[in-house]
Amino acid sequence: MIRLNLFAVGGLVLTVSCLAVMLVNIVFGRKKVNLIWSLFNLSVAIWGFGAFMVGISKNPQNVLLWWKVNHIGVIWMPVFILHTVYLLTSKVNKKILIFAYIQATFFQLIEFLPTVLFFKDLRLVFSSLHYVTLGILYHPFFLLWISLVVYAHVCVYREYVTSVGLKKLSLLYFLVGSVLGFSGGFTNFLIGYKVDILPYGNFTIPIYCIMVTYAIIRHHLMDIEIVIKKTLVFAGLLASVFAILVLPTLLIQEYVFRSAGASGRLIGSALSGIIIILSLRRMENFLINVTDRHLFQKKYDYRELLRTFTSEVLTVVNLDKLVNLTVDKLTDIVKVGSSAVLLLDEEKQQFDLVAFRNVKDPKMSLLRLDGVVTFLEQTHGYLLKKELIDRKVYIPPSIQEIIDKLNAELIIPMVLHTDVIGILSLGKKKSDEDYTQDDLDILLPLARTLAIAISNARLFSELGKAQAEAAQREKMAVIGTLSAGINHEICNPLGIARGQCEAFLLNMKDGLYNNKTSGELLTKAKEIMAKVIKETDRATAITKKLSSFAKPAKGEAEFVNIDKEIDDVLGLVGYELKLEKIEFEKQIEDGLPDIFVDRKQLQEVLFNLIRNAGQAIGEKGKITVTARQDEEKVLIDVKDTGSGIPDDKLKELFNPFFTTKEPGKGTGLGLFIVRQVVEKNGGKIYLKETRVGDGTTFTVEFPITVSEKRRV
Amino acid sequence: MSKPRIVAIDDEAEFIDVIKNYFELRGYDITVAVRGTKGIEIIREKKPDVVLTDLKMPGIDGDEVLSLLRSMDPSPKVIFVTAYDDGGKTKARLLKTGAYAYFDKPVASLRELEETVNKAAQS
Repeated sequence: MIRLNLFAVGGLVLTVSCLAVMLVNIVFGRKKVNLIWSLFNLSVAIWGFGAFMVGISKNPQNVLLWWKVNHIGVIWMPVFILHTVYLLTSKVNKKILIFAYIQATFFQLIEFLPTVLFFKDLRLVFSSLHYVTLGILYHPFFLLWISLVVYAHVCVYREYVTSVGLKKLSLLYFLVGSVLGFSGGFTNFLIGYKVDILPYGNFTIPIYCIMVTYAIIRHHLMDIEIVIKKTLVFAGLLASVFAILVLPTLLIQEYVFRSAGASGRLIGSALSGIIIILSLRRMENFLINVTDRHLFQKKYDYRELLRTFTSEVLTVVNLDKLVNLTVDKLTDIVKVGSSAVLLLDEEKQQFDLVAFRNVKDPKMSLLRLDGVVTFLEQTHGYLLKKELIDRKVYIPPSIQEIIDKLNAELIIPMVLHTDVIGILSLGKKKSDEDYTQDDLDILLPLARTLAIAISNARLFSELGKAQAEAAQREKMAVIGTLSAGINHEICNPLGIARGQCEAFLLNMKDGLYNNKTSGELLTKAKEIMAKVIKETDRATAITKKLSSFAKPAKGEAEFVNIDKEIDDVLGLVGYELKLEKIEFEKQIEDGLPDIFVDRKQLQEVLFNLIRNAGQAIGEKGKITVTARQDEEKVLIDVKDTGSGIPDDKLKELFNPFFTTKEPGKGTGLGLFIVRQVVEKNGGKIYLKETRVGDGTTFTVEFPITVSEKRRV
Repeated sequence: MSKPRIVAIDDEAEFIDVIKNYFELRGYDITVAVRGTKGIEIIREKKPDVVLTDLKMPGIDGDEVLSLLRSMDPSPKVIFVTAYDDGGKTKARLLKTGAYAYFDKPVASLRELEETVNKAAQS
């Protein structure tokens, strides 16, 4: 009973869905093709309805009538499909179409004559379904039917091969859908020819109708692609489920539980059910993969390409990352076998390979004088290998070599203003499809946009370099102004050491030690030497601090003790502060964790803030540096009792070249660079408070990092 | 003739020790101070012939010391002994405004310093 109903259900589904498709075509369709396609759907609906009635009818007399109704659909289907193809393509021979109409009319007449020419009799299949046995004229009908259907598909295929772009795609969908539908429907004939296979294929037909309708009415690719993908997956799933359901059930019934009867069938069904439940999800994934890989390699998602590039790629300001992302994303989204980006090296006058996937020679570079480059520079056009071959253009061996090395199919210049600053090379598509005008329409502007992004990234990195250089200059300038303190810290110890030694020698020479015993002299000498050592150590310490401070930072973070760094910085600025009668106080919380920063950069920050504080005070005052932990952060406050910052200057505080200092005292880069350095180290700097006349407090925050090495 | 009376001021205690020992051993009357303000007091009290002083010290500046001492009567000769170096600008200015001599630290020769002190006292 179940199988009988499935035949009926299949027919009913066909009727309903094809009538719906017909309605959609009439409502939305504007062209003649929609009308003809509606007629095709009507035929399928009639066929489906006939099948439904056959399935539910008990009386053999009625069954034969419904078979005849059913075959109205069968007879007209190839005619309307051919007519649809005739309207959609230029490949159908009009005479054949006319012939199709004539033969259909003929068989239509024959079918309803009360003869056994078309249908002979009925036989019982699957123990409950009355299936027709075929008359003599059915065979030529069947042959013509097959021929017309095949002919229609061949025409679609021929048109598909020669067309491009959107049309090519919609034809492909037409073809795929059509083959799916007709092979499903074809199973019905098999029973007629006594090959008793359950006609579950019928279920593929409405899928086909919906698909083709979409292809005709809306040439909207994205939508149709998704619809088709889902449809195919669903159809595949359905087919697999039925295969699993039917096969074990049949096998078990036939061979294992032949004698078991109804219970055997039940066991078989249960077994099938288990297999289906266990394998459904896996099967779905497999089908999605298969359709993705084999069907949709052909067309990539333009929207995804644009979205990815505008949101993820073109915004990247790190040049290296930018070109690598470009190559990765292009390869993935356009689905090409290889890709590469070459950028112009102005000095060497050559294009170097900076990012690539699957090129043959990763070390290759293109001289500006190479033919490919000259061509791109002069035309700002593209170079498509297939096009050159098709147009039988002679490709010089040198250019062929470059194309081979890059594994290139399409070479596009990246043009900025009028200059070619880079070259984008794309390999063959994985689907083996050729590049179409649609592809070029999107890839050429994309390459231009990339040129802008690359130029931006370059400017950005140059700006970064310029800023680093400015920072270094500022530091050297600062050291210059520090010379008083440094000189003091070096020359005083040297003066003491030298004086001690010289005095001792002169005293000996002048006989001033004549009254001393050798023991006393030795004690004196020991004292002097101890002092000399102490003073030379003092001089060494300051030079070490100075040279460590003066060298550019390595940009490598390590665990740094804030207390110690404050002391080191104080070694540099302490004397100046002392000269200006500025008191210095340090308050470091007990057990303050080390912070993970670049040591020198932290020194730079502290140095600048303390020096600024000193300059804000001018003479007489106090600088207090406190460091404390606040949850996951370390906060360093640098507080001065200086002049404070007026409101109107607050906004500009961290701007480059902003300074309130006298000429020669500062370039204004101090706070600007301090902020950059702090941020590079993952920290924050802000003005905590300031009051004109009372002083200012700056706060620097650094996160407490457990481990992890970070480049800064 | 008696040795000149000296007052030496320098915030580097060790250095002032060297100077003190050197001149004392050679019979000079030398008094030292490590703070500029204290040094001025001593000068007022001792009325030395020669003052050896550092240029930059917490609390007082070389120019201030010089103008103060120049205004005293009798006015001691001022010899700067300093580690301060700004390319000779300050040195030239101080010598022009009445400093007797200017020695860079480290002092190249104590003997020379001694000779200069003597010459200053005599002039």
